[in-house]
Formats: sequence, structure tokens, C-alpha cells
Amino acid sequence: MFCIVAFVVLSILGIFSASNRTLAKEAMDCVLRRVTLRPCNTGFDEKMKAKILGVVITRSEGAAIFLNHYFEAVAWVFFVLLMASSFFAVRGVFLFYVTGSCNGLNSTAFCVFDPNGNNNQISNVSSDCYVKPPTEQDLTLTGVDKSSFPVVNQTAKDDQIFFIGCYACDYTRAAYPMIRELVNKYSDVNFIFADYPVKEKTDYLSKVGYCVNKDSPDKFWKLNDELFVTDKEKLADTAFIDNMMTGLGLDAAKVESCVADPATEKTVQGQFTELRKTKFFGTPTVFINDQAFVGPKPYRVYAIKLKGLLYFMQ
Amino acid sequence: MDLRKIRQDFPILQDNSGRKAITYFDTACQSLRPKPVIEAINQYYLKTSACSGRSMHQLAAEVTRACDQSRLAVAKFLNASRKEEIVFTRNTTEGINLVANSLNLQKDDVVLISDKEHNSNLIPWQVAGRKKGIVVKRIPSKDDNTFNMAAYEQMLDNKVKLVSLGSTSNLDGVSIPAAEIIKRAHAVGALVLLDAAQTAPHQRINLKALDVDFLALSGHKMLGPSGTGVLFGKYRLLEELEPFLVGGDTVASTTYETSEFLPPPEKFEAGLQDYSGIMGLGAAVKYLGDIGFEAIQKQELLLNEAITAELRNLPKLKLIGPADARLRGGIFTFYLEGVDSHRVALMLDQMAAIMVRSGQHCVHSWFNAHNIPGSVRASLYFYNTLEEVELFTSSLKKIGKVF
Repeated sequence: MFCIVAFVVLSILGIFSASNRTLAKEAMDCVLRRVTLRPCNTGFDEKMKAKILGVVITRSEGAAIFLNHYFEAVAWVFFVLLMASSFFAVRGVFLFYVTGSCNGLNSTAFCVFDPNGNNNQISNVSSDCYVKPPTEQDLTLTGVDKSSFPVVNQTAKDDQIFFIGCYACDYTRAAYPMIRELVNKYSDVNFIFADYPVKEKTDYLSKVGYCVNKDSPDKFWKLNDELFVTDKEKLADTAFIDNMMTGLGLDAAKVESCVADPATEKTVQGQFTELRKTKFFGTPTVFINDQAFVGPKPYRVYAIKLKGLLYFMQ
Repeated sequence: MDLRKIRQDFPILQDNSGRKAITYFDTACQSLRPKPVIEAINQYYLKTSACSGRSMHQLAAEVTRACDQSRLAVAKFLNASRKEEIVFTRNTTEGINLVANSLNLQKDDVVLISDKEHNSNLIPWQVAGRKKGIVVKRIPSKDDNTFNMAAYEQMLDNKVKLVSLGSTSNLDGVSIPAAEIIKRAHAVGALVLLDAAQTAPHQRINLKALDVDFLALSGHKMLGPSGTGVLFGKYRLLEELEPFLVGGDTVASTTYETSEFLPPPEKFEAGLQDYSGIMGLGAAVKYLGDIGFEAIQKQELLLNEAITAELRNLPKLKLIGPADARLRGGIFTFYLEGVDSHRVALMLDQMAAIMVRSGQHCVHSWFNAHNIPGSVRASLYFYNTLEEVELFTSSLKKIGKVF
């Protein structure tokens, strides 16, 4: 067992040091002998045992005595630990690839590949919105009426993306282009966008969006794309937004009028109520079919969910 | 002897480049080198890098002169009759092979060796036995591994043409009564070859007084450079010996059919020689001469007695060789029963950078005959200290507790 443990450890150390590479080769020879049911007579394990004992004895004679007597047992313990840690390491890499987090989808626990947790960052929705703060397990699309939200590829039946985001939120702004890219690439994916203004100064954009989508769905998506690339500070400037709409060929005055209409306010509030039914607690929250993705995941995570591990071959 | 000052001459003992300070107890394999030797080697490459004895230019003349001075220094060091009796070789092994291949031994001639010869003084005779049909006989040692003069005398007769013995064993440090052995061999008309690899670094060799016929030694065990050695032969015998390795610089002239060999030592020094090594060896014998063998032996005995006293009663420790440290020169060879010798050596190295030799020390025949898998050998020299001995003994005691 010692040879296997040593082989793995020395192989890793060998990346950085030539002397460890030599030892790794010896260990590999030993492992090959063992797996082919031949005795490991290279002296490698004896040599390593002596070196280890030589280090341990300078710190504790008792520990050296123990290690000498139970060396094989200790090697087994390390072997089991190595196997377990290898399993978890491979699992972590796989999960990171598939979900963007080493510890599973939406997990905010530390991940060495994403040490700052960027893939799980959200702009939090005020907890006042809920009696009891929801968790990831509470997220659901059950009972949510999505019919009033803007949609792309409405006739697509296979898959659906339901994106809850906020124009002025950094993490939504990180996720949105990826989702748009996906939707552009896969025409069989139905994409619904819902604005939930976590930043209060952009409240009125929800109504603008609703009004534009009601009259000109095509121009809504152009406006939407534009809003996500516009400097955040300008989103609160109604004159700037009006200019933007004019630039897209929209009648800004007509949109303003629609926004001021109490019926619009009622409809938009109704949309917010529907969104809160999802129990989402921050933006972006992206539902792909029934699965919720909290925070801006890497492109591959969304693509894998839609098209499988070999998405890049499609 | 100012030990502190002497140790300053050895750069490796002063090396503080992030490594633990070393305790070098492996001189029987190869000694450390003092600055004068290193400087002599450098001198060749820096200032006189040229051929000796062949070219006529200034550099060649300087190398020729330097090598000649080294030969003279070695001859004086060994008290040889003339410098032409000194043949430069690569090591003791080459010297013994030269004699084994070139001496006019006939079928059924007897060569006596001991039962604890280094492979260098065993295998050449085994091979010569197969090639020439000579008979190789083994003189058994006494129970304490000292030389068995009675057995030797019994084996000596007029069929014995050569007695080839290690004058100091690399196994246990025991020296043989060389003068007496030579005298008795000569009495029956046998020649004597001494493997002095372990003697020359530690004891004064007086070739004239010994009256030995051949003597081989290695430079690297006596402060000299690696790959340097000496074969001494009485001039008359060297003249009679056929050259072993032949080629450039061994001849005065050649025709397409014949070669006119140069006189000794040139006829044995074929090809371009290790001039820097020869110059370094000259510096080494001068350095040893300046320290003096009396001081060297005194220091070695002090250290070996201290080790022996400390470790004599260590459980499981089995000493190889006589109990009396005075009979073992600078060598303390032992094994811990049931413990692999390499493991002990590696642990000493790992624990405190104590460098010892482990295994069978090129005396496999003795270990196999005694059914001992291996041993650890601490070989001491004048540059070692009592503090190092203390470190060694305390470390070994700790190791003893583990097993």
C-alpha cells in the first residue's frame, strides 16, 4: 500500500522537483511489481521507510517506534485517505465542471477553483419580502404564471429558461449575455425574461419593459440587451432611457404614458407577486426547466443542463 | 594538530548553503578534499591545460614538470627507491588488474589471498585463474578477523608465486603484519602485492623497509582526486612485466609489425593521462605529509575508541572485527541484528546528515560466507571530531530504540 501512496504523492511533488521524479519512478516500478503479483524487491519501500523514520525520530522517539511497528497499517490508513481524498477531488472537479461549484450546484462552500465564490454571487432580495427567508431548496416554478413576461422562441417545446434578473445588478449583468448566447445558439430553447429590480432606483424599468414588450416584442429584446450593457449609473436617468428608446425606433412618449397608467403598475406588481412565488432570494436566478441556478454560472453549466456533457459537440 | 584550522581547509565542511552540517564518516569509500588539492586540480585547468610529455610548447613543459614533481612526491611519500617505480593508475583496482594480467604466472602457480579481500583483490585473481589456470587459495582469518599467521605459514610453499593481500581491510580496519608476511613469502620465492587502499591514507608506508614487490593504492581515499591511483613496483619487476593497457605514450617507436616500449613507468601509462588528477594527488601527499601520520593515527584512535566505548553495549549491535579499537584503525563496522543496514544508514543521514556506508562494502564474499546480509561502516579520518562522534553515537542509540 505504501508504494501506491508514495507513487501518487511523489508524482505530484515530481512536477516541481527532479529528485522526487526519480523517486516517483521507483515507486511506480514498485507498484507495477505489486499489481503483477511480484514482490517489490527494489528496496524502495525500505528506503522511504528509513527516510521517514529518520525524520520522525528527531521529533519523537515514541512516534518513530510506533511508526516502525505499524508502518503497514499506517500505510493502509493513508491509502484509504488517499482514495477518499482522490474520490472527493475528482468529484469536486466534476461538480465544478458541471455546476460551477466544487460542492454541488449553488453551494457557496469554498471551492479551490472559484475561491471568491463568483459563480454563486447574487444581489440579495430584501428578506422583508418573505416571512421566512427562503433557501435554495425552496426554489420552484410550480404555480408561477409566466404568461405576462417577455419570451423568445415562444413555440419551442423542448427546454425553457426562466431568467429572473435585475438591470443594475452586477451578477445579473454577468449571467445575461451567456443566456442570450445560449438562446441565440439553440432555437429549440424557450427563453423568458423577468426583471426584478433589486436596486430600487430602477423600479420603473420593469414598467418600461412591460410596456415596450406589449407593443413591440422584437424591440423589447433590443432594448433589454442595451440596458444590460449600459453604464449602471445611467439606468436611473429617465431622459437617457427615453433617448435610448427613441434610438431603437420606439415612441418614448407613448411608453411613458403606458408606464404612468395605473393598470401597468397593477400588472407589474402582479408579475412581482408571481416571481416571489418562486421563492427566489437574489438575482440572477435562472431556472432551466425545473432546475434553479443561483448566481452567474459559467456558460458551460447552462449549456450542460440543456444539452448534456457533450454540449460542445452539438 | 589544530583540528579547527584543519577543518577550515575542507570546503565541504564549511558549506552552509542551506544544508545541514555534515558528519562525514565515509572516508574508507572516498575522503574529503582540502583546498590545496582542489587548487592543484584547478591550477591545471586554469593555467596549464595541455598534454604532458608529448608536445614541446611551454604549457606542455609545465604539465610535464608538474606531473614529474607529483611522481617524485608520491615516491618520497612511500619511500620508494626511485620515482620510476611509481605508475599512475586510475585506482587500486586498476593497479591490481595490471599485475594480475601482466605478471608471468603459469598454470598451477598458486596465488594466496585472504578470506576478506575487497572484490578488487578477489575478482582479478578469479579471472586470472580461469584464463591462466593459476590456483587461488584463501588464507582464513582468525575468529576476530585478524590475520592468521599460522594458517599462512602452513599454506606457504614453493608453488606459491604471489601473495596478494589487503594490507588494511576496508571491512573492519584490521591491518595485517605486512613486513612479516613479506619476509616469509620471499623466503619461499613468492612475490607480494599489497592492496594498500586503506593503509596509505592512515599509516606511513616505507617501501624500502617493507621490501614489498608491488603495492597499489587509490588517491581518492587519501585526499586526492577521484580516479587517481598508484601502482608501485620494484623497478626490476616492472621492467619484466608486460604492459597491460597499451597505446599512445607507451612506446618510443613502432613499425607496422612491432612496438618498442618505453621503460617503466611510461610503458604502463597508456593514452592521455589525468594530469589534473596527478597534480592533485601530488598536493594530497604533501598535505598528508605536513599533517603527519602520528597525528592522524592519534586522532583516529581517539575517535574510534570513543565510538567503541559508547556503542559496545548497545543491544542488538554486532561489531565486525576485533573488539579492541586499536586494531581497527579508523573503522567501526557493525550491524543491528534484524535491521537492514541500508535503513540504518538512511536514518542516520536523514536524522543528522551523518554519512556512513552500508551494505557489503565490496566484500560480498565474506558476508556471504558468514551469512550476514550487510553492515554499516563508519570510517573516520583526522578531520572528524569528538562532537561528530557524539552525534553519531546518540543518533544510533535512538535508532536502536526504534527497532
